[in-house]
Formats: sequence, structure tokens, C-alpha cells
Amino acid sequence: MDGALVADLQQALAPERVRVSPLELDLYARDAGIVAGRAEVVCFPLTPGEVQACVRVCRTHGRPFVPRGSGTGLAGGAVPIDDPVVIVTTKMTRILEVDADERVAWVEPGVLNLDLSRAVAHLGLHYAPDPSSQQSCSIGGNVATNSGGPHCLLYGVTSAHVLAVEVCLPDGSLVMLGGLDPEPAGYDLRGAFVGSEGTMGIATRIAVRLTPLPPAVRTLLLDFTSVESAAAAVSGIIAAGLVPAALEMMDAEITRAVEDFVHAGFPRDAAAVLLVEVDGLPGGVDAAASIVSDVGLAHGARTVRVAADEAERALLWKGRKSAFGAIARIAPNYYLHDAVVPRTRLVDVMTAVYDIAKRYDLVMMNVFHAGDGNLHPLIVFDRRADGVLERVMAAGEEIIQACVAAGGVLSGEHGIGLEKRDYMPLIFSADDLDAQARLRESFDPDGVANPQKVLPAGSRCGDLQRVPEGAWI
Amino acid sequence: MSEVHLHVDDRELASCVACGLCLPHCPTYRVTGEESASPRGRIAAMRAVEWEHRPLDGDFTTFMDLCVQCRACEAVCPSSVPFGRLMEGARETLVDETNYQPRRWRLAYATLGHHRLLLAGSTVLAAAQRVGLVPRRLGLGRVPLQRQPLRATGADVWLFTGCVMDAWQRPVHQAVIDVLGRGDIGVALPGKGADCCGALHVHAGLADGARRLARRVLASMPGDAPILVDSAGCGAALKDYGRLLDTDEARAFAARVFDVHEWLAQRVDRLPKSVRRLPYRVAVQDPCHLRHVQRTHQHVRTVLAPYADLVELDDEGLCCGAGGAYAATHPEMAGDLRERKVEAVRRTGASVVASANPGCIMHLQAAGLDVRHPLELIAEALRGG
Repeated sequence: MDGALVADLQQALAPERVRVSPLELDLYARDAGIVAGRAEVVCFPLTPGEVQACVRVCRTHGRPFVPRGSGTGLAGGAVPIDDPVVIVTTKMTRILEVDADERVAWVEPGVLNLDLSRAVAHLGLHYAPDPSSQQSCSIGGNVATNSGGPHCLLYGVTSAHVLAVEVCLPDGSLVMLGGLDPEPAGYDLRGAFVGSEGTMGIATRIAVRLTPLPPAVRTLLLDFTSVESAAAAVSGIIAAGLVPAALEMMDAEITRAVEDFVHAGFPRDAAAVLLVEVDGLPGGVDAAASIVSDVGLAHGARTVRVAADEAERALLWKGRKSAFGAIARIAPNYYLHDAVVPRTRLVDVMTAVYDIAKRYDLVMMNVFHAGDGNLHPLIVFDRRADGVLERVMAAGEEIIQACVAAGGVLSGEHGIGLEKRDYMPLIFSADDLDAQARLRESFDPDGVANPQKVLPAGSRCGDLQRVPEGAWI
Repeated sequence: MSEVHLHVDDRELASCVACGLCLPHCPTYRVTGEESASPRGRIAAMRAVEWEHRPLDGDFTTFMDLCVQCRACEAVCPSSVPFGRLMEGARETLVDETNYQPRRWRLAYATLGHHRLLLAGSTVLAAAQRVGLVPRRLGLGRVPLQRQPLRATGADVWLFTGCVMDAWQRPVHQAVIDVLGRGDIGVALPGKGADCCGALHVHAGLADGARRLARRVLASMPGDAPILVDSAGCGAALKDYGRLLDTDEARAFAARVFDVHEWLAQRVDRLPKSVRRLPYRVAVQDPCHLRHVQRTHQHVRTVLAPYADLVELDDEGLCCGAGGAYAATHPEMAGDLRERKVEAVRRTGASVVASANPGCIMHLQAAGLDVRHPLELIAEALRGG
């Protein structure tokens, strides 16, 4: 333990908000993904000024730092590497200002996504991006990973809902990126920051766009006897000219696990179910719902169930959004991918993914945002079994390769973090990676902000060309 | 300290995927924002001890001890991790291996099982309160100086009377007897031995003490008649006797146990219908062990609705901080939680709060709220306001 670092942090915050006990550090070794690291110190700032103070102390002591929100990330983005100071924003939970006319809210980074929507519901507004973890995940974390969610099919992902971000840069200074003006002048640095996964600094205040609650909503549950027909129905719905608010698919295993929890009446014998939501004006949603139903039936849907009321709708969504958490009903660990593939290739890719799992003798499930082709293949396992982790990782790599071969990308919404970092060269050339590394360097020239995340070692061309000090040429 | 094993089932300990969906439902996480005060973090700490051989040190004890054991996390866990059992097991281990539950607390818990001693002590406490000898910061509600004796009215159902509930809130028992009487339901009172359900002992990790009390409770209410409980915490404990004692007799007993609202909800037609509704709005506060553990909280509404206009709190049943003995052992956290509950009540605009658990009632009364047991409200309505 670095006593001087700890003393300075205690001085900057308060002794009780700086933690170093081994057991407590263990609790910050990982997020909701599968890799673990080790924190040197964990601290809890209360204000943007305290975040700055933490970062400055880190700089003085040559320590990297790792920002952390609720720790619900699925790619290891908040996993501490290189014995860093973990700066946790969970005590910064105030909604600072709500402007119902301008439909803007200023929030601290630790505000929970669903808490914000609840707080503005009485104004007829909500915060539209709705990750499945929305009850637990923080807006700061959403900004870091540029989170998606079921309803982002229609409303767009986090980036489309963040107007401005106050950022504590890796040198400890505060800057405001973006602004409330419709078209802020200059480069869109806000856009660069959203999704930067803590590698460009820490969001200390965020201005988000609020969206009116839709006047009418219809939620449909369709069930199919094959994954292929469900996937074909997805394409059919989009081809019919509809963009539903959400278009989600769950396969047989995950549907059963979820049903065991929510008892919402998800058909336990279906090969796949689609959860489709349309919203808008009352007349429009009825027409859209009947199109969804017709297309589904034409593609072999066994039943079409329309949620009768808000309670039934909420229960269906609770099922969908609990899916990852319900995995322990089958096994205690999962390795999750987040690839996005062209919708037209959904069936091929899913077939390939199930085949890979079968070859490695692993249990594979799928629950995902079908409407935008954002797959979430989950390999379910018990890490305490001998040799299983190697098989899981090998299968994971093949899954990624299959997705990329189909024209896909690595991540739709969870981020790259640590878990997907080394796959980056599969979709980016050396030049692409170098350009990204340069952008990152312009924010963090010394590489102290969430080191070793997102970009694999050697991304910067200079990394390869630099001659080590003292080397003989 | 050499290697220890927690008194937990390894498969149950492994059954958390660390998704974090429990976090916002955990009262201590809501207050602190810290993993160590969350269900996910506590399970990670248990795993660190059990799987990584971390010591049972002061940090581990502090993390376990701060839990209110409201079990809200269980109700929202998609994988149904049995967190309550894990926490009870971890505390049992702490009792066995460390000086967790020092002597004075063990004595206090032991007193609960000796009803005459408890009643005498309670009277002394009440007298001390009246002459200003009990510090207000303890947050203790006003303890009654005198108690009217209860009388059995028949043998249709048993009414479990318990320890603190009987000492401090006997009028609630009387209200239950009165209300059931209006439906021609005769109430039997337990024989010797029904001193205490043992819930607080289980929560404190004193399982052996709990088992001793449970066996006596079991013997105090023989036969087949339903056993009604008007305290949510006791009801949850009695319903768990099958697991605690692991005998067929205990399982048969547990199957006879009902929360009084749960039992009445099926029989609302037996109570008089034409009554004057209460002239005030009532906010329903769900005791954790009714909502998250027994999951019978809707029945309170079913039973109470004919007599009063009910309003809901908007806090999703977040614990008020009472937590059995928690308000006494952790006054600061309990106070923080209570403030949140008081705010939630204020937002409803209701002047009266209904709560079906003695701990919550007293804890919230101490904050100045007008809190009554639902059966007291019904009794009032049946008396004609």
C-alpha cells in the first residue's frame, strides 16, 4: 500500500471516504463481467471538485485512475488494472436541475438511469435510453459506454440524448464538452467523450435530453417454434415499413429461466419469443400492432399476445430486462458478447453461434435487440469446473470471428472494456487503431485514465516504432 | 485465524451472477452507494472468505452487520439468490468464531424468551421513560406503563402473541380479537412457551437460541387450527420453522401459520360491511418481512380498503430502518432510512400510516408519524369511528 498516496487522498476528500482494506478492495475488483483486477485504493468523491482533487493526487503520485459507476458494466470497463485508484461516483446522486420546457435535466454522474425517469414522470417525460440494467446503472456509466437498450431502436442510444458533459480531464482540469445550444460550435468533443469508457476523463455533471412519454403504447409477445422463423419475422416487421420502439428476441433457454423468475406467462416450450413494442398516437399504435401481428403470423408465430394493461406490459419487460440476472438459475457465470450483425444475416450468425457452442460442449443462450441486429450470445458456465474457462474463451473468440465475418462489429452497447479489447484488430486496421489512440492521447497524453482498456497494446504506431531508451541501434 | 467455513450452502453462495440488479433495492446501498453495503458486495465478501480464504476480520463483520436483513434483494433477484439464508449463515459463523454479539446483546436477546421478565423490564423502562431517564436518541417509541390482559374468545384460530409485540403493543392483539369477533371468529391464545418467535435470534446469528424458542412455540399452539400472526417479522419467522427445525412436525406447524391479513383477505365477507369509512386517508407502509419475505402485503390492502381510502408510497417498499433490533443496534443508519420513509409518507399527504409490524410502527412513531396497525384501523372503523 502506498501510504503517501492514501494520506493525500484522505486529505483531499475525508478519511472515511478513502478505503484500502483488502476485503473492501476485493469488492471493487470487477464489474458485472467476468474478468477481475485489483484496486490499490477506492475513493468516493461527493462533488466535481473532489473528483478533480482525486485525479490531481493520482497525478502527483504517478498513479492511474479508474472511474466506476454502479459496476453493472459487462465488458470489464471498470476493472482496475495497474493498481489504480478507483474513483467511484455512486455518492454523486443528485438531480441538479430539470427544465421541463426545454426538456433538459442536469444530473450528477451517479444518478441511476431509472431514478431519473421516475423523477420526471410527473412532467410527462422520461430519459429514453433504457439499458436492461436501467434500475441499477448510472447515467455516468451510460455516458462512458454509450449505452443502448431495447427502446434505442426507435429513440437512439445514449449519445443522442447527452447534450453536454462536464468532464474532469486526466490532468485534473474541468471542461464542458457540448452545450445546450442546438448546434454547439466547433468539433463535437462531447461526441468523442460519450463512449470513451473512462479513458478520457470522468464525467462530473451531465445534461441529458428528456423525451415525452408516448401517448399510447402496445406491447406484443409472439412465440415461434424455430429461431429462424422468429428472425425472419424480425426482418419482415422492418420490411413492412415499421420501426417499432423495441424489437427483442429471447431463445428457448433464456425464456424458461426468465419465466421461472417473473411468472409472466412466457411460453416455456417456445423455441424463440419476440417482444415487440410500438408507441405513438393511439390510432397509429393500433394499426402498427396489427401489422406486427399479421407479419408474425405470416412467419409462423404460434401465438400473439397483446399486453392488456400497464401491469402486464411491465411484467413482460421485467422478464426481458432480468434476463442476464436470471442466468444463475442455470449456472453461476456467463461470458457475454455484444456483437452487432446486419439484420439480414441474423439467422446465419445465430446458427453458427449455436454450432460453436455445441462443438465446445457449452451451454449457449441468446437474448438480444433483434431490431438492430445487436446479438447478446451468452455462454453459461461454472468457472470452478476444470478447464471450462479456456473452452469459454476459445468459443467466444470463434463467435466474434463469425460475427465479424458476417459484416458485424464487436459491440453494440456494452463497450469494449477489457474483455473485447484484444478483438479490436479484427475490425480495425493498424491505421484505424492509431487514429483512435491519437484521439485518446489528446485527452490523456500520459495514459493514466483507465489504462489498458479499449485499445490493445501497440495501437499507437509510435508504440511499435519508438526506440527503447538506451537501446543500441 | 485458521481457515473457517461459513455456515452457508456452497451452491447458494455460487448462485449470484453479480448483475447488480439488487443494488437500488438495498436500503443500506441507497444510503451509502458502497458495494460493501450492498447484497452483491456482501456476497462477494462471503465468497472472499469462503473461496479465497480471507480472514473473518473486523471489515467482514462490519459489512455483514450493517445489513438490515430486509430481504428486498431476494424479491428482485432474477436468480432468486436466497440472500437471507446466506446472511444468517454468515452471522452464525461470526457468532461461533468471533465475539460477534457481545455478552450484553446475547443477554438482551435471551430476555425476549422469558416473557414475565420481559414484561417486568418493560414496565421499568416505561417508568424510566416517564421520568426522562431514557435518552431520546435511542429513538425508542413510548413504551406502555400498563397492559390490559387479553382474553380468549374461542378456538377457531390461534393468535400468536410474542414478546415485544405483547409487551408494547398489546392493544393491537386486542384489536385483532375484536375484529375477528365481529366476524364470529373465536380466538385462542397460546399456552405456556409462546414467549418469542426467535426471529431476532436468527437474524443475529444465534440459531441455537432460536431453535430452543421455536420448539416451545410449537408446543404452545397444538391441534390443526390456523395460527394467525399480527407481526410481519414474527409471521415470517414462524413460517420458516420447517427449515429452522427441519422436522415434519415443524413443517406441519409452519403450514398452519398465516399473517392475519393474509388469512382475513379470504374472508372479508365475514366482517360487517356497512360501516362508516375512516375520515382520513391512510398511507400503507409495507413491512419488509410482509412484502419481501411473506409476500402477502397486498392482503393488507384487500382487508383495509373497505374501511379507508388508501394511498401508496412511491419508494417501492424500501426498508424504514426498523429491522427488528436494527434501530437499536444501528441508530444512525436506521435514522437515515427513516428520514427517507418519512419523506415518502409526506409526499402522499396522508395523515395516518398503516403498518403491520411492531418494529416499523414504533420506529416510525418515534419520528412523529401517526402510525397504526391495520387491524387497529379496522377496529376503529367497526366501532363507528
